[in-house]
Amino acid sequence: MRRTASFLAVVLLTWTALAAAPAPADVLVSRQLLEREHLAVGQTVELSSDAAGTAARPFRIVGVYEPTPDPMRFAQERLEVRVHLPDAAALEDRLPSSSLTSINVELRDREDAAGFASDVERRLPGLTAKSTAAPDERTSTFAVLDRFHLAIAMVTVFGSGAFLLALMVMLVDERRETVATLRLIGLTKQRLIAQVLVEGALIAVAGAAFGVLFARAAEPVFNRFFQWRYDTALVFVRVTPAIALRCVALAVPVGLAASAIAGWTILRRRALLTVGR
Amino acid sequence: MRRALAFAWLRLRREPGRMLLGVIGVTAIGALLFDMLLLSNGLLVSFRERLDRSGFDVRVIASESAVIAGPPIDHVSAKLTELGRKPSIAAVQRVRVASADVADHPSTRHLAVAGVDLGAPVPWTLLEGAPPNAQASPAPLVINRNFARTFHLTVGSPVVLNGRCGDASRPLPLDATVAGVAEFQNDAADALTAATSSQAVAALCGERGDLADMLLVQSNPAAGGPDAAAAAIRAAFPALHALTNEQIVERFSRVEFSYFRQLSSVLTTVTLFFGLLLITVLLTVSVNQQLGEIAALRALGLSRARVMAGVLCESALFIGLGGIAAVPIGGLLSRWLDAILRSMPGIPADARFFVFTLHALEVHAALLVIGAVLAAVYPMRLVATLPIAATLRREVVS
Repeated sequence: MRRTASFLAVVLLTWTALAAAPAPADVLVSRQLLEREHLAVGQTVELSSDAAGTAARPFRIVGVYEPTPDPMRFAQERLEVRVHLPDAAALEDRLPSSSLTSINVELRDREDAAGFASDVERRLPGLTAKSTAAPDERTSTFAVLDRFHLAIAMVTVFGSGAFLLALMVMLVDERRETVATLRLIGLTKQRLIAQVLVEGALIAVAGAAFGVLFARAAEPVFNRFFQWRYDTALVFVRVTPAIALRCVALAVPVGLAASAIAGWTILRRRALLTVGR
Repeated sequence: MRRALAFAWLRLRREPGRMLLGVIGVTAIGALLFDMLLLSNGLLVSFRERLDRSGFDVRVIASESAVIAGPPIDHVSAKLTELGRKPSIAAVQRVRVASADVADHPSTRHLAVAGVDLGAPVPWTLLEGAPPNAQASPAPLVINRNFARTFHLTVGSPVVLNGRCGDASRPLPLDATVAGVAEFQNDAADALTAATSSQAVAALCGERGDLADMLLVQSNPAAGGPDAAAAAIRAAFPALHALTNEQIVERFSRVEFSYFRQLSSVLTTVTLFFGLLLITVLLTVSVNQQLGEIAALRALGLSRARVMAGVLCESALFIGLGGIAAVPIGGLLSRWLDAILRSMPGIPADARFFVFTLHALEVHAALLVIGAVLAAVYPMRLVATLPIAATLRREVVS
């Protein structure tokens, strides 16, 4: 069994011979701790449960591990070690050796997790048992963050929609004489509206596609920046097909609406007035 | 410059629809920018206000963590006696947190019960009932409104609590009486919280040790304030970690709250770039449509600088009008976004993610001024390098 040692108040490097002392116990250190304290596999270190370094015990680093990325703890430095449970209990003499913070259980039948948890709570009334698959605060937290990002996206789309409309009105206005001439030679309003809509749709689809490709290209940049900033293997940005589709589904109707409004503003004028007759 | 501004205003008024759409666009983008500036420090400002409001200015725990996560503090009574003698310390409160259920009310959510010294300053504000008496029997219980509502309790109601303190066996149930309903510091909106004496919590969990998870300290301003109090605690008990409110805020800004700061920085940059691009395109298209007019004005004697100033003023008007409208709109929008974020579990009911500060307003104004200038650079270059004769000829021929 392994246990994340939260009592890592001090890591005392020892370069002195430890021949007289008992053989050091094994310890795994996190990559972050290894790099920060310039440790190496095979080195012997002393660990103590308090900042003063009292009753420090020697440990030999037998390996390094990458902590499992945890989105709830990504902002915290993962300065951790993992030792055998008896060593942890001996190190932290505040707790009796029979005391544990938590027990992880792997069931033969994972579908039975909820039943097992309620059974444990009934039989051992002082304990709290939870299925790792059960909806908990983590899922709610990220659902809220998802709603927050969607709200920001909606405001951005609204703002860019207004800009797009202004641009489309200007572009269509620039072609008002051409449009009037086309009306005078017999093209119907429906035909011209359809033309403006198709043009708008093409621009919107091209813009949305460019946006998705740009996001896809920027994805590693964002991830590398935040992974560097928080020293974690966590993935922060991932452009999935579902997100790309959602983006296109939001952007294309806005583009079409802007084209339709812009087309309508020019076609509602009488053609002869537009060409100055 | 005033003439250039008046001229730009006249030109914008000639196309009211275009101006309105441009200003709406800037308002939306500006509101988002303003909100991101409010978010960048909002949680921290709100956190600092809440800490200062609590009345305690030093927190002592047994681990380096800024939250209760490490081992408990032992031999608390002796430590409290020693700390009480320090001139820099005005009062000390002990806090032991346990988990419990209300007997005969099976629930998926457990109660958080704090055990404190009822004779010391307490970390809650009483709304109903009377301050609990430590000697009272059954144990006096102060509960939050959520607890009272969920279990239909009022002042004087009897309650039986079963501790859930991590042991395989459970101690005897604790008989208690609701002494008051209170607002607890750092209480989440949906939390079920109660407090009683530290002896009652020890009985609830069957603890024999004299333990606390945290000590809350009120410093003596006349004897050096929180820094002196924290130093005295560190000197007396080197194994304990004493943090002043200032240090907690600094630590949270560096670690726990840094995500929202990073997020707001990224979104501020993206929003600003995006707004800049759109205004530049809008001004460029507008200038391209008016090249003939501008060439004619130049031919009539308007200087290059005057025409360039006109474009700059047009940009300033777009961004200025939109930027001013963005402040109240952003304020309203921030309430919506704040409500979304505050629905996260475990967020204290009085925490705010978006907090208005004068500094945020100043940065908003500065960014918009920079944006107005940068957005006008390319269209200004267009009118500055405009060949007057060739443009006029092209206008006449077309």
